Amino acid sequence: MNKFNLLNINFGRAAIYFILFLFAFIYLAPLYVMFTTSLKDIEEIRSGNLMALPIDPTLYAWKKAWASACTGSECKGLAPYFWNSVRIVFPAVIISTILGAFNGYALAKWKFKGSEFLFGALLFGCFIPFQVILLPMAKLLGALGLANTVTGLVLVHVIYGIAFTTLFFRNYYVGIPTELVKAAKLDGASFLKIFRHIFIPLSTPIFVVTIIWQFTQIWNDFLFGVVYSGSGTQPITVALNNLVNTSVGGKEYNVDMAAAIIAALPTLIVYIIAGKYFVRGLTAGAVKG
Amino acid sequence: MGSISLNGINKSFGSTEVLKDINLDIKDGEFLILIGPSGCGKSTLMNLIAGLEDLTGGEIIIDDKDVSEESPKDRDIAMVFQSYALYPTMNVARNICFGLEMSKMPKNEQEVILKKVSSLLQIDHLLDRKPGQLSGGQRQRVAMGRALARSPKVFLFDEPLSNLDAKLRVEMRTEIKKLHQRIGTTIVYVTHDQIEAMTLADRIAVLKDGELQQVGTPYEIYNDPVSHFVADFMGSPGMNFIECIVKDEKLIIESGGEKYELEMPCKDVIKNSKLDVVLLGIRPEMLTEIQPSVEKNSYIHQIKFDVDVLEPMGADTVAIGQWNESEVMARLSPESGNAAGKGFDLQVDTSKAILFDPNSGLRIR
Repeated sequence: MNKFNLLNINFGRAAIYFILFLFAFIYLAPLYVMFTTSLKDIEEIRSGNLMALPIDPTLYAWKKAWASACTGSECKGLAPYFWNSVRIVFPAVIISTILGAFNGYALAKWKFKGSEFLFGALLFGCFIPFQVILLPMAKLLGALGLANTVTGLVLVHVIYGIAFTTLFFRNYYVGIPTELVKAAKLDGASFLKIFRHIFIPLSTPIFVVTIIWQFTQIWNDFLFGVVYSGSGTQPITVALNNLVNTSVGGKEYNVDMAAAIIAALPTLIVYIIAGKYFVRGLTAGAVKG
Repeated sequence: MGSISLNGINKSFGSTEVLKDINLDIKDGEFLILIGPSGCGKSTLMNLIAGLEDLTGGEIIIDDKDVSEESPKDRDIAMVFQSYALYPTMNVARNICFGLEMSKMPKNEQEVILKKVSSLLQIDHLLDRKPGQLSGGQRQRVAMGRALARSPKVFLFDEPLSNLDAKLRVEMRTEIKKLHQRIGTTIVYVTHDQIEAMTLADRIAVLKDGELQQVGTPYEIYNDPVSHFVADFMGSPGMNFIECIVKDEKLIIESGGEKYELEMPCKDVIKNSKLDVVLLGIRPEMLTEIQPSVEKNSYIHQIKFDVDVLEPMGADTVAIGQWNESEVMARLSPESGNAAGKGFDLQVDTSKAILFDPNSGLRIR
């Protein structure tokens, strides 16, 4: 088959690739601009072309964004807030995922009177907008003495996340044959032992999906972060906003860009590492016995 | 020991009654088959015995102990599922030992049992594999091994062979029978395959719409069914049913364009029933080509038969024709040389024929 023929036959395919590349380019262009800008100094940004590669790449902006840029009145860079976010995200993701796995297992395989209703009610939680719960949650956190604390933010994210994690695990576990539970019951295994020995080992894909989902949601959250945190407990998203909005002298675009990339980096890395599991997990069907 | 008594078992899901007043005694060491069409409640009954579902009414007694309220693990029962339900993340050895592990048996004792069971079922070489790497027959063996390992009082088999291909099914059927002969544990076995039921069972219990129709040995069920339903369900090819007019305690049939009067072994029954029309039930093997060796008696009739279709099955050939405008199957020798569309003389032996009330479907006796 010669080249001409190949092109002819695959014209449709070529068009599809062209469109895909075009959209990929459009999507990636801002990232390119962010990245190149973060490596330029401020002089070059003012004088040069937006799309041009940096003439003399420097890590000045990255260092400043990380360690010394001003976020409001303080000038310690993003570092403390990055660690705040880490301290919020890790417990919140782990707790909400574990609770979701338990809930999903119970709701899928240990049906009781009203379990369907309970699941429906939990599902409803997925459709409640953040804004609706702001005030009642603020009152609750105040009453619990958790206002402006990292623990408080963890609690908010866990509660808000349970609806989603339960939904994920429940739908995954519904696909696992109930006969496995029956067989294990006859083998003398209890509720928890069946969960531990049979369901957990089958759950890697859905754990990955849930963890990615929760990590992204909580890391990227701005609203809860800005409302429920104090000055020392702000997550990185809030700090980024403050950094960009604080101008001492002229606007340092390179620092802004570096800061934005730093803030987005963890979710990006999670996707790159576990992305294929994410797609696989979402499409995973029944487990063959 | 492992005798089971089911006393007045009822089960409802919401307002649907799935099982209605089931009474059945299963002796220690017996191979009992529960058979019936889909949705007759046979799997539900099995789940009730296992304790996987709660009774709506009645009681289950295993070895003189009422276990109706006990959880599955305290009933000392093992079950083999239709889908095998092997734990997909565990290897074969751990699948077999899982029940022992749960009962906190020491590892070295587990090893001994594992060795015994795996050599009995010839799965020694598979112990390190995961269920996903096994063929259907191998999975079946592992599932049986898992049940055997705990040496329970009772084995429950829930349509264990229906996922296998025809040849393997026959092989495994024989193995299950051998296994039962060797270990002698009580087995309750659910199936909808009447050949499995006939070949395996000590006794067969026929279920329909949640009611027990008949319990008996395969011979009784086959030759002495209580109703049209039971007679129709057992046997392949199935029993012939022909509506016949009664005249002088004989049955009138029309075959090959001529009318015949069939003499029945149960004359009083026909007389007492006072029915003008009865349903004649006669097995295909009672309809054969003329066999000169058979001694003539009043139950042996010679009848003209027009063959519509011939179905050679190897060992015999089934000829399908019409009596009284109902389809009738005759079991011929493959060497008889008959052809579809042609008539020939059929020998009909009514000595084992049975009669049903055409309205109720119940046996007239």
